[in-house]
Formats: sequence, C-alpha cells, structure tokens
Amino acid sequence: MNGVVSRRIEAARSGIEGKRRGIMAGAWVALLLAILGFLVIYPVLTLLLGALTDTNPVVEGLSLKHLSIANFLTVLSNPNVAEALFNTLVACGGGTVIAVAIGLLFSWIVVRTNTPFKGIIAAASILPLFAPPLVAGVAWSILGSPKTGLINTAFKWAGLNWHVDLYSLSGLVFVFGIYYAPYVYMFTSSALRNMDPSLEEAAEISGASAFATLFSVTFPLIMPAIVSGMLLSFIVMLGIYGVPAVLGAPANINVLTTYIFKLTNWSPPLYNTAAAVAIILMVVTGFLVFLQQKVLSGRSYTTVAGKAFRPRSLDLGHWRWLTFALGLIYLLVVVILPMLALIVAAFRKFMFVRDAAALFDMRQYSLMHFYSIFDNPLTLNSIYNAVEVGIITAIVGGALAFAIGYTIHRTNLPGRRSIDLIATVPVAIPGLVIGVAYLWAWIGVPGGLYGTIWILALAFIARFMPDTVKALSTSFLQIHRELEEAAWVCGKGTLATIGTIVLPLARPGVIASMTLLFVLAIRELGSSLFLYTSNTMVMSVLLLDYYEGGNVGKTAAFSLVQTVLLGVLIGGANWLSRGTAQGGVVRAIR
Amino acid sequence: MFGKIFTVAAVAGLGLALGNAPARAEENFGSPELIAAAKAEGKLVYYTANFAEVEQQVIKEFNKRFPEIKVEMVRAPGGQLITRVKTEAATGKLIADVVDHSDRALMAELVDLFQDYAPPNAADYNPDAQISPKLWPRATLVWAIAYNTELVKDAPKTWMDLTKPEYDKMTGQVFAASGGTTWTRTMFERQVLGEDYWAKQAATHPILYPSGAPMADALVRGEIAMGPLLYNAIYPKQKDGAPIQIFFPPEGAPVNPYATGIPKTAAHPSAAKLFLNWCLSKEGQTFMIKELGNLTSLKVAPVYPEGFDPGVVKVWYPNFDQYVKLHASWVADWDKVYGYRQ
Repeated sequence: MNGVVSRRIEAARSGIEGKRRGIMAGAWVALLLAILGFLVIYPVLTLLLGALTDTNPVVEGLSLKHLSIANFLTVLSNPNVAEALFNTLVACGGGTVIAVAIGLLFSWIVVRTNTPFKGIIAAASILPLFAPPLVAGVAWSILGSPKTGLINTAFKWAGLNWHVDLYSLSGLVFVFGIYYAPYVYMFTSSALRNMDPSLEEAAEISGASAFATLFSVTFPLIMPAIVSGMLLSFIVMLGIYGVPAVLGAPANINVLTTYIFKLTNWSPPLYNTAAAVAIILMVVTGFLVFLQQKVLSGRSYTTVAGKAFRPRSLDLGHWRWLTFALGLIYLLVVVILPMLALIVAAFRKFMFVRDAAALFDMRQYSLMHFYSIFDNPLTLNSIYNAVEVGIITAIVGGALAFAIGYTIHRTNLPGRRSIDLIATVPVAIPGLVIGVAYLWAWIGVPGGLYGTIWILALAFIARFMPDTVKALSTSFLQIHRELEEAAWVCGKGTLATIGTIVLPLARPGVIASMTLLFVLAIRELGSSLFLYTSNTMVMSVLLLDYYEGGNVGKTAAFSLVQTVLLGVLIGGANWLSRGTAQGGVVRAIR
Repeated sequence: MFGKIFTVAAVAGLGLALGNAPARAEENFGSPELIAAAKAEGKLVYYTANFAEVEQQVIKEFNKRFPEIKVEMVRAPGGQLITRVKTEAATGKLIADVVDHSDRALMAELVDLFQDYAPPNAADYNPDAQISPKLWPRATLVWAIAYNTELVKDAPKTWMDLTKPEYDKMTGQVFAASGGTTWTRTMFERQVLGEDYWAKQAATHPILYPSGAPMADALVRGEIAMGPLLYNAIYPKQKDGAPIQIFFPPEGAPVNPYATGIPKTAAHPSAAKLFLNWCLSKEGQTFMIKELGNLTSLKVAPVYPEGFDPGVVKVWYPNFDQYVKLHASWVADWDKVYGYRQ
C-alpha cells in the first residue's frame, strides 16, 4: 500500500517536474528569441522598410504608405550593381581559395608535422587577424602600387624587369587570401588537434600512403571545420570595406561594400538604394549559409570521444625544412613586409620615394606624424573607447553566443532552428548597413541608447554573432554526447552539466571566440561610422578620418599604434590565462 | 634704488597691460554676457564635413583665445553628416551645437532646424555667399591646380593644359558626386571652360578619387603627377616641405562657401555663438587663410593665401539656383563622360 502511494507521489512529482522543466525551457527559448528579435529582427525590418520606401524611416516615421519596389527595380537594372556583384564574387571566391590553401596547409604543418620552430609558424598564421582591413589595404598600397610601390622600386633597384600591380582584381584576391587565411586556420587547427589519430593509423595500416591518408581520412574528417572556416572567411571578405576601398578605388574597381559606401557618401546620399543593394548582398550570403547547412546536415563529425589520445606528428625528414621555409615566406609576406611599409610611412616625412637609395636617406625620417596624432585629444579618447567597447562586446557577446550555440547544438528544444536561423542573419549584413539599420532602429528607443558606448557594443554583438556562434559550434560539435550523458546519469542537472562538462571542454573555443570578438570589435569600422558621437569616437573611425584626411604618414603611425596596442592586449589576455589547464588565449586560438 | 622701483612699476604696468589685452580683445567676439554664459556652458558639440585634421587646428587656435570652452568635434563626410543631422533631429536627439557643411543646397533644405544667428561683423560679409540669414560661410574654399615637381618637368599652367594628350594617365580628379566643393568645380568646368571640357579631360584617363584628401596624398606620393585640388587640401603639405607646386589658373578659381549654423535645439547656444563669432571674425578668418589655405567671404579680405594674387586670380562663384537645379542631371552626365560608375 505504502509502496503504491509513494510510487504515485513519485509519478506526480516527476509530472510536475516535467511541466516545470517544460515551462523553463519555453521561457528560455522565448528569452533568446526576444534578445535576437531586439538585436537582429527589428533592425533588419527597419532596413527592409528603408529599401522598400523612398523615405528615411526615422525622419519621416515608419509608414507603409510609400511602399514600392522601385528601389529594387532600379538597383537590379543597374549594370554597375551587376559589375560590383561580379567583382565581389571573384575577389571573395579567389580570396577564399587562397585562404583555404594557406590555412589548411599551415594548420597541418603546425599540428601534424615535426616542422622546426612551429611556434613561429603558428603565430604567423594568426597575426594577420590583428591587422584592421584599412591598415592592410594602406600597407599593401604602399608596397604594391603600380607606380610608386616599394616592391616595384625594389625590382627596379635589383635590375629586374618585373612589375606588380595590386590596384587590380587579382591584387584584391591576393590580399584577401593572405589576410583571411587565419579564419580557416583557426577552425582546422583545433579540429586537427582534437581528432583521434587512431583513424589515420587504421588507414595507414590498411596500406594507404601518408598523402592518401591526408586526403581520404584526415581532411574529410575535419570537413565541418574546413567548410566553417571557408564560409566564414568568404563571408567576412564579403563585408570588408578597407581593402577594396584602398586597392580598388584607383582602378575604379567596385565591390558591393565600396559601392554601398559610395551610395551613402554621395551628396545627396542614396540610403534607400544602399539598403536595396545591401539586401542583394544579404540574399547572396543567405544562399551561402543555406549551402553550408546542406553540406553539413545529416553527417556525423564527432571526433572527440571519451577516450584519451595524443595527436601524433608526422616525421617529414628533410622536407620539414621546406615546410619551415613556407612558414617563413608567409610570415614575410603577411607580417614583415606590411609592417616595414607602415614603419617607413609612419616615420618618413613624405611618402615620395624616388628610388631605393632615397629610402635610406635618414634626413627624410622623423617622429612628426606621431607628435601630430598624440597632439590630437581624440586619439587617446578613441583608444579608451575602443577598448571599452571591445571588452563589453567580448563578454556579453561571448556569453550570448555560448547560450545560443549550446541551445542549437546540445538541446532538442523546440524553436532552436529559428534561433539558429536568426542568429545567422547578421552574417549577410555588411557593417556599414548594420550601422544605418541600428541608427534607424534604435535612435527612437527610449532609454537614450544612442550616443552611448552600448549602442556600438550591441551593434558589434549582433554583427559578429554568427562568427562567434560558428566558432563555438565547432567546439560543441566535437564534444561527444556520451560525456554529457555520463554527467546526467550521475544525477547532474542541465546547468551543472554545462558547468562541469561542456564549459571546461569547450573552454579553448570559448576563450578563442571571445578574443576573436574583442579583436573584431576593436577593428570594426563600418557599423561604427553611423553610431559614434563625439563622446564615443573609436579608433577605427579616427583611423578612417586620418586616411580620408589624406595623410598616409599619420594613418600609418596610428595603424602602428593600433597594432601594437592589440598585440599588448592579446599578450596580456594570454598572460592572464596562463597556467590554466588548456593554456593561454593565443594557444586557444591556435 | 630709483631704477629698481621704476623697473618694478614698469613690469607691473606691462603685466596689467598684458592682463587686459586679451580681455579687451575678447570683446570683439561677443558681449561680456555672451562670453560669461559661454564659459559657464564650458563646451560645445561641433558637427563638420571638413577634415578632422584641419578642424583640430581651428579648435586649437580658438582655445588659445578661450581655453575654458571645450569643442567636441564629430566629423563625417558630407552625405553621412546630413543624414546624421536629419535622423537625430527627427527623433529630438540632435546633439550638435554647430553644424558646418560644404553643400549649401543640402543645408538649404534644413534651414528650419536652425536658429537666428548673426556674428558681430555680419555687415562685413558678402551676402552672395549666404543661402539663408541663419547660415554663415564659416569656411570658404578655393580650387587650384597642383603638381608634383619631382615628376613634372613641363608643368601645366592653365585648366586647359589638363586636357593635353602628353599628360595621359598622369592626372587625378575628385568625382563630381563627392560633395558641394567638387560640384562647384564641375559646374565651373562646363560653364566656363566649355561644354566639351569634360570629354577632353576624361580622354587623358585621370584616376578618380572619392575626395580631395586622398588625392592630395596620392599627388605627394607620386601616384598621380597633377590635378585640380582644393587649395586647403594640398597647401599644408607644401608648407611641410612636400615636392608640390600649386597655382591658381588664369581661367578662374571656383570658390565654395560653407553653410554653418546653430540648431534651435543647441544645448550650448552661447558657446556655439562665441565659437562661430570667433571663426567668422577677422582673427578667425585670417588664421584659416594663412595657416589652412582658405579664402574668405568677407567683403574685404584681411589677407590672401600664399600664391593668391587678387589682382590676377579670377574667383568664380556658382549661381545658386543653377547649383541646386543642375546638380542631378549634370552629375549624371559627368559620370557618363568619365566612365564613373554610379
């Protein structure tokens, strides 16, 4: 009798428990959807309305009276838009091919071979991330201009009849490729590191050569990481303004971002048309994201299981010096040459270099550009603001991305597909357009968000949410369910499981994502342009000001300041997290 | 002993004189009440379409006179600045105390946002430079032609020289749609130099730039060898020793006055008035002419920029009606002629 009663009580209790869980789960999904609605849906709708009307939704109010597709039709029938779209696809497509080749090659070299001084190569593979696109563009225009480029000056000095011209579509492909390889590297290297080598060993025991193993076992196994890195780098390139602005403009080569910026810059500015072009860009990117989902769906990529293993490294013999040399060449091209160009430009009074000998005329060098930038009170303000925005973005954005990533990949909650979809939408919106959309959407929201550092941080969080969620998803996808199930079997609740199992295992990914967010936020230019005020001017906006102010010297000097600052901050973060089980930030990124 | 007393008195007297001088000079910029109110406000927010670098120098000079007033500058290219002003104004969040813009046509549409304002020396200004009694030509910019002396041996001397086939691929141009100043130059070219000037100039394959600043830099670096530039975009570089020569061509020098005003919603109206009073004063205009290479819209210019001989240079002001009406169709024509994608 007693037994029956207690069983009934038990059943009733678990029923209540189940209901309570259901309500909690529903509330959780609703909360995430509300946050995403505020961060993504609302601004995108404002943008859509902007593209469908000929009015400024803020100035003239949200009205459905003037709805028409006139803007869209104008944009679609404009051959210049088609050309900009074509240039965009060529530049980003070509750039992605180079980025995948470089990223995959170096992640394999660093993780899986006995190449000497791997630390240097690993560092070189990440360093381009620190370079803001505008800085990269300026550095490469100093190096690769057809008329005055230092590389051409050097060729002439060496008596070589060679000539480079980076003011071209192939120049864009080259610079995109070398600078966005780290995105591929980050994903593939952590996947390679976390992969169980017994699968490769099995292939080799079955008689496959090292080369065949690489292409038939290793790369297919880390396919989600390759595809994620590839798509992310492509998508990031789609939204880059700085590089094509500097390298494309002299040859009148437009890509969609520079075209949108021009639309907003003409007088009178054509914001509604810009919004319409932006929506074309959103459709292109949306299609790519859909493609990625198709590629990844229905396959299992679990490679991290509840077994201990040690990644093995391949003995390359003499060939290891070749891989080392490749690393050095990459370091030279992507870090040393651009830095030298910036240093020359920052310390040289004028960038007119008659010949190679003039480069070493020490009378031409001075600190005048540095004096000049620090004479400007905006410089220090902008540094302080940028760091503040970066920290807010990294912490809040990192936490939100973790919540979203976990909900999407580790739960069966209803509504998680919608969350995934909405969190991916910002991928397709270039920063510039996010800036306009956020200005339109939030300036009227009570509470005075506009004019504070928070509107910048929120815009960055929304803008980089897809990047962060993608970066984290790779970590989630690789943690086998059996580890979580073990915790549940031991009676842990969901939160406790996250705290004791998921978070520690995904920790390198989480720290890497937050660091990535911080770096991206500090570099972000497009969305800041419309959201900053005199009190919240950030470094990237000031850098554009220096560039537009037409002084390569000051631009280079401030670029150096920004680069050194980022280096110090990342180094500091790395130092702070030293001694922890998974190692530092830089190692986590690697 | 006597000598010592005399010295002390003299030093004291000199000290008094020096102490009084700025106080008396301050009165040129506004009534004591305005100055006191401006100092009490302590700051102003300044929106400008001019380059931050250049405006920073103006603020610094203003602060030599009024160190108590902090000027916070928001700088954006013309198109963006107008949208920012419109958007903020529509939602009642316009934080600007002063708006300073190169395109008078765009500013003319916003005239209702601005309060009545006139500087103490209002009568000294040329009324043609104004589109509204509320908006003042704080800055007046003039076009010149500049070339890199290291690259050009046979230098151009006129606007027409920029169409010479021998300068093929050596010239630069700022595209027509870039803003008020560029629009003024393109109007001048078509109305004064001839209907076919654009076509002849475009035939030399000029490199097109989004604004005068990067073009000035490209000229210094040698990316281009010559081209028309706003005098104030290139003059500071020449002053610093860059291999640049600038001249005002004999056919004329197009001039574009800015339109600057104080919004009705200004939170620091007294500081804003004092700042504009100073900028529009003889002292402010003289500074901008001598150090930045501006012209002025004062009827009698206190001084001219280096190389500008008022007896020789023919300044050219656009007809404002045409400035507004011709804009869209002529810019479209220009884009077609220069193969610029819009």
